[in-house]
Amino acid sequence: MYNELIMDYSKLKKYKGKIEDATKVEEGKNLSCGDEITLYLKIENERIVDAKFEGIGCAISQASANLMIENIINKSIDEVKTLIDNVYKMTRGEEYDKSVLGLIVELKSIKDYPMRIKCFLLAWKTLELSFK
Amino acid sequence: MLSKNILNDFPVLSRTIKGNRIVYLDSAASTLKPKPVIDKLSKFYLENYANVHRAVHTLASESTQMLEFSRKNYANFLNASEHEIIFTSGTTMSINLIVESLVRSKILNKDDIVLTTLVEHHANFVPWVRLSKLHGFRVEFVEPSLRFGTLAIEDFLKKDINPKVVAITGHSNVTGQLIDIEKIRNIFPNSILIVDGAQLIPHQRIDVKSLDIDFLCFSVHKMLGPSGIGVLYGKSQYLETLEPFLYGGEMIDKVGVEDVTFNVLPYKFEAGTPNIGGIVGANYALEYLKNIGFDEAKKHILDLTKYAIEKFRNIENVEVYGPLDESHCGILSFNIDGIHPHDVAHLLDEKFGVAVRSGHHCAQPLMNVLKSQSRLSQFPNSTCRASFYIYNSYEDIDILIEGIKKIKEWFDV
Repeated sequence: MYNELIMDYSKLKKYKGKIEDATKVEEGKNLSCGDEITLYLKIENERIVDAKFEGIGCAISQASANLMIENIINKSIDEVKTLIDNVYKMTRGEEYDKSVLGLIVELKSIKDYPMRIKCFLLAWKTLELSFK
Repeated sequence: MLSKNILNDFPVLSRTIKGNRIVYLDSAASTLKPKPVIDKLSKFYLENYANVHRAVHTLASESTQMLEFSRKNYANFLNASEHEIIFTSGTTMSINLIVESLVRSKILNKDDIVLTTLVEHHANFVPWVRLSKLHGFRVEFVEPSLRFGTLAIEDFLKKDINPKVVAITGHSNVTGQLIDIEKIRNIFPNSILIVDGAQLIPHQRIDVKSLDIDFLCFSVHKMLGPSGIGVLYGKSQYLETLEPFLYGGEMIDKVGVEDVTFNVLPYKFEAGTPNIGGIVGANYALEYLKNIGFDEAKKHILDLTKYAIEKFRNIENVEVYGPLDESHCGILSFNIDGIHPHDVAHLLDEKFGVAVRSGHHCAQPLMNVLKSQSRLSQFPNSTCRASFYIYNSYEDIDILIEGIKKIKEWFDV
C-alpha cells in the first residue's frame, strides 16, 4: 500500500487549503478514528472548476483526497459521478473502468484492507454528499 | 517472565504475517484464546450441550450444572454470592442494564448526581450522558489533572458534591492507569459505586465485599474466554429491589394479563436463553487464569509495561500517554509526531507482524484531554495502543520498538 506514489501524494500541498469563493462546502467525518475533512468545491455551469480540502488524516486518506481532487478538476458533475461509481467498484473488488480512474488505481489493493477502506473513502463520501 | 511456558497454548502465535511471526499487542481489545480452553469448550459442545433450566433430560441437566458451576466459580472469584452473579453479553450491556434499572426503580431520580470521569470508555460514558437527557439526572465529570489523562485522587475531591452514583473504570483502556478503588470508595462512602472492570479483571482478583463495590462489570473475551459473554456483579440489596432491564422468558415467575412477577435472583436479570457455551467457556478461561495465578500474571504484565516505557523514552518525537510510574499497567498508548496512528498500525502489521490498535479506543472525551496537553505538531484525535498480556515477551516489545524506529525513518520524522 505504502508505495512511493502514495507517499508522495499523501504529502502534496497543492490541493490543501480553503477556497474563499467556493460554491459548495461539505464536511465529512470518519467515526472510527476521528478524522475530519472539509471539502471546498467551485462549480460553474455543472463543471468543477476548482477544489481543495482541509483536515487531518492518515497517509491513505490524504493521498486519496489529493488524487481525488486532481481527478475532478475540470470535469463535469456527470463525469465525476461516473468516477465515484468506478472508485466504489474498485474498493468492492468489482469490475471497473480503469481508463476513468487514472493514477487512483495505485490504491486498488485497498479492497484487501477492510479497516482502511473508510480512510480511503472519506474524501469520496464527502464529495458524493456534496451532490445530494 | 511467567514460570510456565504457555506459548504452546496459543498456536496462533506461531503464525507468520508476510514472513514475520505474529506479535500480538492488542489484548486490551480482546485476548487470544488458549487451546485448553477451546478444547474443553469444543468437548462441551460435542458431548454435553442442550438448553438450560427447562428440560429434565440428561443433556439439559449436564448443561445446567456446568452453567451454574461457572456462576459459582465467578462468585468465589469475586467473593460474592452466586445469586449476585448475572451473566450478560458484556460490559456494555451490564452498564446499560444498571443505568436503566436504577432509573426504572426510581433509585436514580431527576436532579440526582452521577459522578464519572473523562477517562471512561464509551460503555461507561454514553449511557450516563444519554439517559441523563431522557430522565433528568445530572452527570458530573472528574477531569484528570496529571500527565496525559492521568487521574489523581485529589481530582475527585475537587467536586464538592454528594453523588448518588459514582461510576468509574478500574483500569483505563487508553492510559493504562490502575485506579485505586479503595480510595474512591472512602471519598464517597454513601454513593452507589459502579466499577467498570473490563480492563482490570483480566489480571486482578477483586474482592467486592472488602472494597464495598455495589456493581462490577467485565467481559470474558478480555480474559481468554469467548466473546459475547460478560459478568455483572450486583449487591443483592440492590438486585432484589431493581426493576429488570429485559423482560421475557426465564426471568419470569407468574404471568397474567394484569401483571407479571419475577423469578428469583439472578434469573430475574437473565431473560431468554443465555449464551450457554459462553458461560461454560467463561469458567474454563477463569480456571486457566487461576492456574497461572493472577498475581503472577499481573507482575508479568507490569514488568513488560515498565520495560516498554523505558524503551519508548529513548525514541524522539514520540508521546506516551498516561502515568510513567507503577500505576501504568499493560496498556501503552502513543503517537509519533507527524505520522497518523492508522499508518503506524498498518505498517507495524504489514512490515513487522505487530498487531496494535489505532483509533480513539471508544474514549473520545479522553482524546480531547490528550489533545489539550499534546506537544505534537498536530494531534490526530486518536492514538496507537500496544497492550500486553500473559503470552507476550520482552522480545515482542523489542520488535515493536524496532518497527517504530523504521517507520519514523520511512516517514522522515
